[in-house]
Amino acid sequence: MAEVVLRDVCKRYGSYNAVDNVNLTIRDKEFVVLVGPSGCGKSTTLRMIAGLEDISDGTITIGDQTVNDLPPRERDIAMVFQNYALYQHMTVYDNLAFGLRNRKVPEDKIKAEIDRAVDILGLRDLLKRKPRELSGGQQQRVALGRCIVRHAKVFLFDEPLSNLDAKLRAHMRLELKRLHRRVETTAIYVTHDQVEAMTLGDRVVVMNNSRIEQVGTPWEIYAHPRTRFVASFIGSPAMNFLDGRVRSNGSGFHVETPGGTFHVSDANATGLAGHDGRDVTVGLRPEHIRLSETKAENALHGRIELTEQLGAEQLVEVVAEESRIMVSRVEAERDLKPGTPVYLTVEPGQLRYFDRETEQRLA
Amino acid sequence: MSLASTAQSSPRRTRLFDFLQPGARAAFTAIAVTAVVVLFLAPIIILVVTSLRPGWGVYYIYRGTEFTLANYVEVFQRSVVVEAFINSFLLSTVATILSLGVTVTSGYMLSRFKGWLPKTWFTSIYVFRTVPYISWVLPLYIVNESLGLYDTFFGILAAHVAVHVCFFSWIMKGFFDGIDPSMEYAAMIDGCTRWGAFRRVALPAAGPAIAALGILSWLWTWNEFLFALILTGNRTPLLTVTMAQFVTELGTEWNLMSAMAVMAMIPAVIITLFAQKYVIQGLRI
Repeated sequence: MAEVVLRDVCKRYGSYNAVDNVNLTIRDKEFVVLVGPSGCGKSTTLRMIAGLEDISDGTITIGDQTVNDLPPRERDIAMVFQNYALYQHMTVYDNLAFGLRNRKVPEDKIKAEIDRAVDILGLRDLLKRKPRELSGGQQQRVALGRCIVRHAKVFLFDEPLSNLDAKLRAHMRLELKRLHRRVETTAIYVTHDQVEAMTLGDRVVVMNNSRIEQVGTPWEIYAHPRTRFVASFIGSPAMNFLDGRVRSNGSGFHVETPGGTFHVSDANATGLAGHDGRDVTVGLRPEHIRLSETKAENALHGRIELTEQLGAEQLVEVVAEESRIMVSRVEAERDLKPGTPVYLTVEPGQLRYFDRETEQRLA
Repeated sequence: MSLASTAQSSPRRTRLFDFLQPGARAAFTAIAVTAVVVLFLAPIIILVVTSLRPGWGVYYIYRGTEFTLANYVEVFQRSVVVEAFINSFLLSTVATILSLGVTVTSGYMLSRFKGWLPKTWFTSIYVFRTVPYISWVLPLYIVNESLGLYDTFFGILAAHVAVHVCFFSWIMKGFFDGIDPSMEYAAMIDGCTRWGAFRRVALPAAGPAIAALGILSWLWTWNEFLFALILTGNRTPLLTVTMAQFVTELGTEWNLMSAMAVMAMIPAVIITLFAQKYVIQGLRI
């Protein structure tokens, strides 16, 4: 059980910064997810915590110990890899026992630990099998088991679910969550899948271009994205963005876009104060847009381009002026034909505004 | 209209076998397979038959029906033959054991590590591989001669180990490239040193590949002729060269040579029969 602190951590390959000045504190027993597109530095960060990569600059501490110069085996961590990394020539039992045997744990104690892990993960019948005789989900469980038996201070997960098919992935996601509640260990989880990030993380760290964009609870990240990147990365379908310009009208603000004008809510107005006449990007979440076929006040006008029937809902792509806007949560029963003129409205309080140049959120 | 034109533009191609009787394809396949089998088996059959014939009966297969084991007896009564077998066996085995130690570790280094050392090593192996192996023989002879290693077991052994290392480090690198390195990372996190991760996880995983490589190395040295011819003489007789010595001024003793060749073939046959699974498995990694 331990806190993990990253202070000004950098990883350089020649002149390229793979990880640039990362500062992060992961509290004891917390489940933190690093999420971002490929090449954003999330895996490298994890591998530095594990000790599989050197740290170019900065310090990493686990518990009270600075681990910069410790080899992986002395960091008291456990790790699950994307491709499970089971020892192919050993049985499941030996795979689970390997780490403990290396630490000279007596064989009867190893057996007790494996018994416990096997019960948690339901591996009882597989102990004598070799990894290649197991399915992907079973291999994944063995990899988790290898962590559990070790009682390591920190669990590291490097995209552990991305080799599984969609159904199994959803199932294992739940199991992971249940497991964390039961085992209660500091966990750092790397993924490019925002759904995993949102569902598993106590806190989510969004990374892009080797830097941390935002750290927060899943809800904070979703509701109050700090940058345009975070807003676009989290949420499915992704947030829509429109170019607009801030206009002050004495009592308040509105934002003009080619497709129509948005009234700025009072809560958002403070953030836009002083930006009169500035170019901004307006962010609209697909799930916040209401689509109607009758004319409405303060609405964007467009035509339906495509519809995607999902059964529970419809996704509708609307073209308004030059922009394509995705609308979700449209009732599945509605009969919407491509080409139909429609009006899109959004609660003003649910719009997000970003500076066009810095891409930082204004309101 | 457009549909019709597309249909017309790609008529079903008439294939060769459409002109022939049904079943012609099977017949052709059978003939082709037989031809290939004959092509490969005929030399071996001729060799075995020759080795079982008396000296006067080797030039025409149909001359007489006399078969004898006397050739084998005669060959093995010559002490040089026995010595050659022992030498070749020792040479192949020792060279394989020594070179595997180097090829396995250097193949691993080439596959897993970056930096000047692996790069230099890779380049040197590459250069040595590009040079035709025949062109090493003369320099090696001069080196061996000047070091007093000519016609010694150690002299030929060193040459073979060198060739193994250059030829097979390369293949070993390929095997290790095919093994996922995260297994070793997992081992390092599980308490192994870098060396421990190699020894306890990567090495066992490469087991079939190493077995395959061992077999290839062993056979390579067992069958090698050129180095043996140039770098050894009467003091260190080797199989392949001794076999060639049945070519004398008075003619070639085909029957004796064949008998020896059949004996020399046996290890290769045994290995092919029992170890081909490992060779195939190893080469597939």
